[in-house]
Amino acid sequence: RSPLPLARYKPPATETNPALEDPTPDYMNLLGMVFSMCGLMLKLKWCAWIAVYCSFISFANSRSSEDTKQMMSSFMLSISAVVMSYLQNPQPMSPPW
Amino acid sequence: MKNFYIFIAVLFIPWSSSLAKYDEFEDGDDIMEYDDNDFAEFEDVSEDTVTESPQRIITTEDDEEEATVELEGQDENQEDFDDTDTQEGDTESEPYDDEEFEGYEEKPDASHSKNKDPITIVNVPAHLQNSWESYYMEILMVTGLLAYIMNYIIGKNKNNRLAHAWFNTHRELLESNFALVGDDGTNKEATSTGKLNQENEHIYNLWCSGRVCCEGMLIQLKFLKRQDLLNVLARMMRPASDQVQIKVTMNDEDMDTYVFAVGTRKALVRLQKEMQDLSEFCSDKPKSGAKYGLPESLAILSEMGEVTEGMMDAKMIHFLTHYADKIESVQFSDQFSGPKLMQEEGQLTKLPETKKTLLFTFNVPGSGNTSPKDMESLLPLMSMVIYSIDKAKKFRLNREGKQKADKNRARVEENFLKLTHVQRQEAAQSRREEKKRAEKERIMNEEDPEKQRRLEEAALRREQKKLEKKQMKMKQIKVKAM
Repeated sequence: RSPLPLARYKPPATETNPALEDPTPDYMNLLGMVFSMCGLMLKLKWCAWIAVYCSFISFANSRSSEDTKQMMSSFMLSISAVVMSYLQNPQPMSPPW
Repeated sequence: MKNFYIFIAVLFIPWSSSLAKYDEFEDGDDIMEYDDNDFAEFEDVSEDTVTESPQRIITTEDDEEEATVELEGQDENQEDFDDTDTQEGDTESEPYDDEEFEGYEEKPDASHSKNKDPITIVNVPAHLQNSWESYYMEILMVTGLLAYIMNYIIGKNKNNRLAHAWFNTHRELLESNFALVGDDGTNKEATSTGKLNQENEHIYNLWCSGRVCCEGMLIQLKFLKRQDLLNVLARMMRPASDQVQIKVTMNDEDMDTYVFAVGTRKALVRLQKEMQDLSEFCSDKPKSGAKYGLPESLAILSEMGEVTEGMMDAKMIHFLTHYADKIESVQFSDQFSGPKLMQEEGQLTKLPETKKTLLFTFNVPGSGNTSPKDMESLLPLMSMVIYSIDKAKKFRLNREGKQKADKNRARVEENFLKLTHVQRQEAAQSRREEKKRAEKERIMNEEDPEKQRRLEEAALRREQKKLEKKQMKMKQIKVKAM
């Protein structure tokens, strides 16, 4: 059973298509951006908060091959949405019920 | 709902304080009106007193007007007082009436409340209240975010510990069997890194190579997404377990042609639907493994009975029965090409590439609540993998089996070709047209008229030849038919 002759290559090369297997980070990224734009345009605080959550979830599920720039940009966008909503309207968020 | 009640209670405190303030202001206003009209002589006094405290003003003015108060009865005064609500024009009699009653602190309050009922009390807007309690939703959100971050760190660390525990227990076995343990594809030379490759916060890879009969072995530790709070919550509803997936790529000459799978019934049904090779070659439903001495939970999918017979030797059965709870699926296939690709009809022009592979999927015991110690229990499974590699190399179909296998493969290929026949024809047609067009373009672009003529003639000759060939073929067919 000893290793004997062949010391082959390395590849892993791996995954045919990682995006197919788990689309969560991409969906969350997109959702986060949509919510933060909603929050900014329509001045809805809860949209902005959900955007922050989405970007966090996207970060947690991200693959190592993903661009950190993408993550950071969506994160920054959601934070800016929250900050802008509060600057425009310092009232605390009212619960939807 | 609880939050709602807290919110109401919180609002009540400032509301009641604001109510008191408004009482004072309203009294002051009333007094101001009468003072301007009727107590010019006392203006200075009344102005000063009004700013301090309205109640004190009421009493001092009453002292001054005691005489006039005693003259009239209280009932009349009440009526007059009511009149004053409606008629604003009246001057002299009304203010006396008001002040008569202002001395009595209870009645003024009653009359004042009568006066004040229609006036709505304004809620002080929340952001002016200047209390943290009004921002409770924001605090909730931030707490949620903090909880998420905490869970991320904890989950990541746990997965990391599990991965390293697994690697430490299996390191010896792997190093004794493979020359190259651990590689991340970045080095130019093939040197063992001896480390796991972290693809994700929950997926770790390990590539081993350098053993007889197999090209290489890729081990994937697919842990649960402990770093994602949403996933953790979802798992509370639906328990799942960590998985170890091992994919051994065999050398072409080291494995005979067969397709075989063993595993839990659920897993096999799913694999049969998903995997290209299993769906094409193993047409039957998974059979129970009880025939071969396997526990009821395991089922077998096989291309031919002979393969099952050959695979199920004593040692394999021993492995499978002892570790049945940890085995999700085991698949030996020489036509492995991965899961079925969802392609459109027009795109399938070639059969997907196949590789001889052995696939193993094991469940880590503990169904989610695994500890690093559980990794030790997976060590015998790795020995099973190694044994299977050797077995796959040794196992050869006899002549009958080989014939059947070849027939199967030919059948599959034929089916595929039939399906794509139309597409291939179209592709060939389009290629021919492209060639013609290219030729014509060349002829057109040719500046020299002589060359043009020559090229045209050459093209014409070629076409004529083709026509002749076709005619010959038709003649031959006709002759044969006859």
